Amino acid sequence: MRINRRFRTVIAAITSLILLFLLFSLSDAPAYAMHISEGILPAWWAILWFAVSMPFLFLGLRQLRIRGLHNTQLKPMIGLIGAAVFIISCMPIPVPTAGSCSHPCGTGIAAIFIGPLLTVVVTSVALVLQALFLAHGGLTTLGANVTSMGIAGAFVGYGTFILVRRLSGRWWIAAFLAGLLSDWATYSVTSFELATALHGSAPFGKFFLTVLVAFMPTQVPLGILEGFLCVGAYRFILTRKPELLKTFSDNIA
Amino acid sequence: MKPVFELFSDIFAYRDNTLTRIDPRVKLVLAALAIIGIISSAEFAFPLAIFAAGLAGLLWVRIPARLILVRLAAPLGIAVVLILLQSLLIGSTPLVSVSVFKWKLDVMREGLLHGSLLGTRVLGSVSVLLLLSSTTRAHQIFHALRWFGVPKGWVEVSMLMYRYIFMLMDQAGNFMDAQRVRLGYSSLRRSLSSSGLLAGTVLKAAMDQGTRTCEAMELRGYKGYIPFGTLERISPKDLCILGLASGAIVIAYIWLEWRVL
Repeated sequence: MRINRRFRTVIAAITSLILLFLLFSLSDAPAYAMHISEGILPAWWAILWFAVSMPFLFLGLRQLRIRGLHNTQLKPMIGLIGAAVFIISCMPIPVPTAGSCSHPCGTGIAAIFIGPLLTVVVTSVALVLQALFLAHGGLTTLGANVTSMGIAGAFVGYGTFILVRRLSGRWWIAAFLAGLLSDWATYSVTSFELATALHGSAPFGKFFLTVLVAFMPTQVPLGILEGFLCVGAYRFILTRKPELLKTFSDNIA
Repeated sequence: MKPVFELFSDIFAYRDNTLTRIDPRVKLVLAALAIIGIISSAEFAFPLAIFAAGLAGLLWVRIPARLILVRLAAPLGIAVVLILLQSLLIGSTPLVSVSVFKWKLDVMREGLLHGSLLGTRVLGSVSVLLLLSSTTRAHQIFHALRWFGVPKGWVEVSMLMYRYIFMLMDQAGNFMDAQRVRLGYSSLRRSLSSSGLLAGTVLKAAMDQGTRTCEAMELRGYKGYIPFGTLERISPKDLCILGLASGAIVIAYIWLEWRVL
């Protein structure tokens, strides 16, 4: 019985891998960073994740309002950075294991430049636009997606960047790890959100691991690629327009 | 970038038809009602009925079928994986047994049913969102959200973001074409380098544009906030539509979910 259960988990994961591979290989539609689609979360879970994300969104908006009193240019600037992050999150990156292109989250790089709380605000707007005009994510799953992409992705990316830069002193290691870990944090939290809501009678741990494994072929290489993307973007700004980094760090402080 | 540029647009909302003429607040309330009904449904019928209505609406306002399919592809991809996982992991009543080597693999009835319900919920609610975004302009949605009490700062950032996404996307598209012409995406290593360069360029362009936009806005009297003004009262005709449509959604829910009518 025990062997049968384990076997079912393995088979489920392998079949999911094959199915995902086929989906991404055969479809010409671009594959996006892991968003929970509209309709997947039951009502109570949707409400719970809204409740989790709202304090962060409130703090982000408070920060925007307070800083906006002293700096009238902040809101337009955040809007523009948000638009840039939205574009970056739409940029196709080739994922060798999926045989197709996927898209980065962009929250790690945004958090490095504008700080994690403002990234939560920008992410929430980007997710609403993606839900409405690209059918990626959803309005009832907005709380869950903000929690995974905006909160987990931004705070992990920002924390990693600050910590690694202080410890190693090398910006490129810090930028790479910020991109990598922010993507993986988003992927892990999304898997957790899916497993908590949908595991049904199956053990939570088993379902969580199976979801993790099912999305591994795209998300693991995508995280590594996002790390490189983060390094490339940071290097470009550092060499071409370093004064922007000062503007960004002033925004964070 | 090109497929996203084609997909990400509210161009269909600028057409003149019966649905685009309805007040955006009415459409938002109806969409919310339908989606709440879908995610709280325990039967297939209600989500499928909403999906059919949504699809009929999309075809009625002449949204290309290919666009509908492409927009449905990504959410359905995730739904299919979840259906599969649930069929194999949840439940105790084997529906189909498949022998692989010496092991027996069971597709469980309960998991398959729940997974399929999930699939219909995704179909139904995504079709509602598609219909909403195909018949309502982005700025109308933002104004309606402000009317419903969404914080001013959030709506302001949304409007600025939406305005500049197209401009930056155009620039990024041109830049990407130039990279492609120079074989910037011919190998994985060159693709990574080109993508990093592109991301940095977009950020730099955004900051440069941000500075210019701030100056232009300040010259036009911007004091740190955008004045929204007040929206008109909802017309009696739109109130009638709201009453009739919400009544229809509630009756359909009671009939299809509880089978009491």
